[in-house]
Parts: sequence; structure tokens; C-alpha cells
Amino acid sequence: MMNTNETPVILDARGLEPPQPLVVILEALERLPKSAEMRACTDRRPLHLYALLEQRGFTAETEQQNDGSFVTTIRHA
Amino acid sequence: MSAKASVGTDVRAPSVALPLRFILTGIGALLTGCAWLVLRPDLLATYHYNQYVIAATHLFVLGWICSAIMGSMYQLVPVALEARLHSEKLARWHFALHVTGFVGMVVMFQNWNLKYVGSFGSILALGVGLFIYNLVRTLARIPRWNVVAFGIASSLAWLALAIFAGLYLAAAKCWSFSPFEPLAQMHAHAHLGGLGFFVMLIVAVGYKLVPMFALSEVQSARRAGWSIVLLNAGLAGVFATILFSSQWKIVFGCVVVVGLAFYWLEILAILRARKRRNLDWGLKYFLTAVALLVPVSALGAVLAWPQLPLTPLTAQMENVYGFLAFIGVVTFAILGMLYKVVPFLVWYASYSKAIGRGKVPSLAGLYSPTLQATGYWLFISGLLLTSVATALAHESCVRAGCVVLLASVIVFAVNIGKVLIHLVRPRIEPLVLKPTLQGVA
Repeated sequence: MMNTNETPVILDARGLEPPQPLVVILEALERLPKSAEMRACTDRRPLHLYALLEQRGFTAETEQQNDGSFVTTIRHA
Repeated sequence: MSAKASVGTDVRAPSVALPLRFILTGIGALLTGCAWLVLRPDLLATYHYNQYVIAATHLFVLGWICSAIMGSMYQLVPVALEARLHSEKLARWHFALHVTGFVGMVVMFQNWNLKYVGSFGSILALGVGLFIYNLVRTLARIPRWNVVAFGIASSLAWLALAIFAGLYLAAAKCWSFSPFEPLAQMHAHAHLGGLGFFVMLIVAVGYKLVPMFALSEVQSARRAGWSIVLLNAGLAGVFATILFSSQWKIVFGCVVVVGLAFYWLEILAILRARKRRNLDWGLKYFLTAVALLVPVSALGAVLAWPQLPLTPLTAQMENVYGFLAFIGVVTFAILGMLYKVVPFLVWYASYSKAIGRGKVPSLAGLYSPTLQATGYWLFISGLLLTSVATALAHESCVRAGCVVLLASVIVFAVNIGKVLIHLVRPRIEPLVLKPTLQGVA
């Protein structure tokens, strides 16, 4: 796992109708620097995202928040 | 925090081919069924206890409704409940058994060969057994139980009973061993499937889909939970009292209606709290189906009234009750649900790999809202005309109503065809790159 010193990119994809969260996260990842990580906030666990991240060479870890939303931390593998 | 999931872990959506093959089979059966009603309007204009009505009903119920619902469940349950489908291989076997079973059953019902109905019914039942086993194993993996999971589990239990009751009916007809009155058995079986599996799923899935697409949340988990509990309790009583031809069925029918009233109240609360003001046509279809539960429930309560005489009018009203339940409520709800499920499946299969690397169409860009609106109003018109004509036992008007319904279904199929074109001819354009990502959104 890469340990980065950069400030993580926070992407708030809550309040969007499916599949818009998937779209905005993948579009943003295309511009994510190699050494950076992204924290994507979503209303639901992004199940359709995981396989696509794996294909694009990312690792991800999702945590549920107290308010019921989810934060997925994404890094280059 | 808890509930972590990493890439490569157990939580993923199933492949798109699996639900699509069920759904497309279902749409084929729906078109065939509507065309059948156009050719044979007497199926609705005369009393429903004959081989042709039973054959057509099973084409709609097994070929259309079960195919579409089961395919959608293979897609929705893992996503809605955050658990990977136990086995896609079992689901593929289920598809083969399901198609063989329902096609054989419909043909054999029409020929009134009940031994073969039992044989094909057993094949179908084996497929349903695989389906239930697969989803039960999937439910066993979910991280936490909620009202949606409770509703889905309930619907699976009622489905198992409905299938068992159907096989019992076929066997009882072959060997004449049943102590129950034949029509009562058939009505009890129909309520297990219609109310227990279909309506229960509409209720459960509604608690997930309506908040998801209206951008809202369940407002009272307690109220939602009570709707499922009362539906289960009411249906258990309705089933027993219909089977034993008891006068108490009105009481349990009212319990079902109270459960549905809790559901309507919760859906209204969810809609009032929504962030998205304009509802799309898919959601309008689904919510109209939910609203149609009101006249169906009222009609059911009237027909359950103690000592209600069987007259030509009440007999026809039984036809209207079944028609409105299966075609009005369940079919309309499924059409709405499919306007969400199919475009997403196709969009994901065709475009997900290109997101961020090319310009891909939006989900709404895959289908025509004009066709959606046309199909909606045709369906409502056809439903009303056919219902009134059925009540009056007027064959020509039943045919006219079914022509309008068939036109609506053709419009739906054309719109779904527009979506499916993207599977073979994806439209990906070069991307115009934006400046580098800055950070907080």
C-alpha cells in the first residue's frame, strides 16, 4: 500500500442518482496523480465500482459512516 | 468504522448477461400473452375457470412476471443488500429449467394434459428451488438485515409455498385426492403467488428503489417493518380462509389492506422528503402501479364479503380483480422497474470501461422519454378499457382494450430495443480533456 504525503482528494458524490456517482468518481480518477489518493463519499456502497477500479489498476477500501453514507479510499495499486 | 470492503473482496454485482436473458424472455412472453388476449378476448369476457384462461394466466405469471422479476432479483438483490450472488452457475441452470418448465406448462394447460403439466411444473419447481436456494445463501451473506431483506425473504417463502400449492393442485386433479373445493384451491394458490411473491416484492423493492431514484430515504423503518409484518400475517389468513371457503377471509383481507396502507403512507413520506423534484417515467410507472393497489384492494375486499352471491357480474368482477392485480399492478410495476434495470445493465456493459477515457452517453440518453410517456398513457387507457369491458363481459371492447395494451407493450419493447442497440453499437466519442483535478468537490 502506498503511503502518500499529499492531501487526499475528496470527492463528494452523495445526492446523485445512480450511476452518476460511478461516473464522477471514474472521471476524477483519470486525473488523479500517481502519488495521491482519493476519498469518494457516496450514499450507497459502490458495488459496481470495484471491478472497474481493479481493471484500471487501483485498490480501494470502503468504510460505512455513522450517517449511513460510505467513504471509499482509492489509491493506485 | 466497520463494514470495510476492499477490491477483490466478496461484494460485487453479478454479470449483466444473467439478468438480461431472464428479462428478454419475460418481454417475449408479455408480447405473446397480450397478442393472445387480442386473438381470444373471450378469455377475459367469460368466467376464468377453463383450460385456456389457466394457460394464458401461467404465460403471464410464469413467462412474463416471474422471468422479469427473477432476472431483476439476480441483479438487484446483491446490489440492494450488499452481498455477492451465491452462484451465477446455479442461476444459469435456473434459467434453462425455468424456460423449459413454463413453456411446457402453458402448452400442456392448453391441451389440458395435467400429468404433463405436473411434469413440466416439476421442472419449473426445480428451477425455483435453485433460485430460492441461491438467494437464501446470498441473504445469509448480507452484513445487516433491514426491511428490504425481510420483505425479500418473506417473498421467497411465499414463492416456495405457491409452487408447492401449484404442484399439489396438478396432482389433485390427476388423482382426485384433495379434500378442498377445486376453485378455492386455485384461488388460494393464486393469492400465494400474486400477493405473497409479487406484491411482497413490490413492497420490499419499493423501499429500496423509490428512495434511490427519488433521492430520499426511508422515513420510518418501524412503519415499513409493520407493512411487511401485516402483509405476511394477512396473507397467511387469506390463504387459509380461501382454502377452507371460510367467511373470515374478509377479516384477513382487511389485515392485508392495513399492511398496504402502511406501505402507501411510507412511500408518500419518502416522496415528500425527496431531493429530486421531477420524477422520471420509470418511477412514474412504478408509483402508478403502487396507486393501483388501492382499487385492487377495494375490489378484493368486496369480493371477500361474506355471503356474496356468485352472479354473472360478481363472476366477471373476479376476472377484473385478477386482471387488475397481475396486469395493472404487477406488470406496470415491473415495466417501471425494467426502465431502470435494463438501461443500467446495458450502459454498464457497454460504457463502464470507457468512463473518463471517452465521452459516453448518459443513462437517460439510451432510451426515448417520448416513447416512455406514450407507453404509459397507452397502458393506462388499455387497462381502463379492458377492465370495464371485462366487467361487462363485452368481447369486442375487451379486444379493443387489449389492442391498446399490446400497443403499449410494443412501444415498451421498441424502447428497450433502442437500449439494447448500445450493446452491439456503443457510441463512444473522443473526450475533451478538462484541467487537472484540484481537490474538494
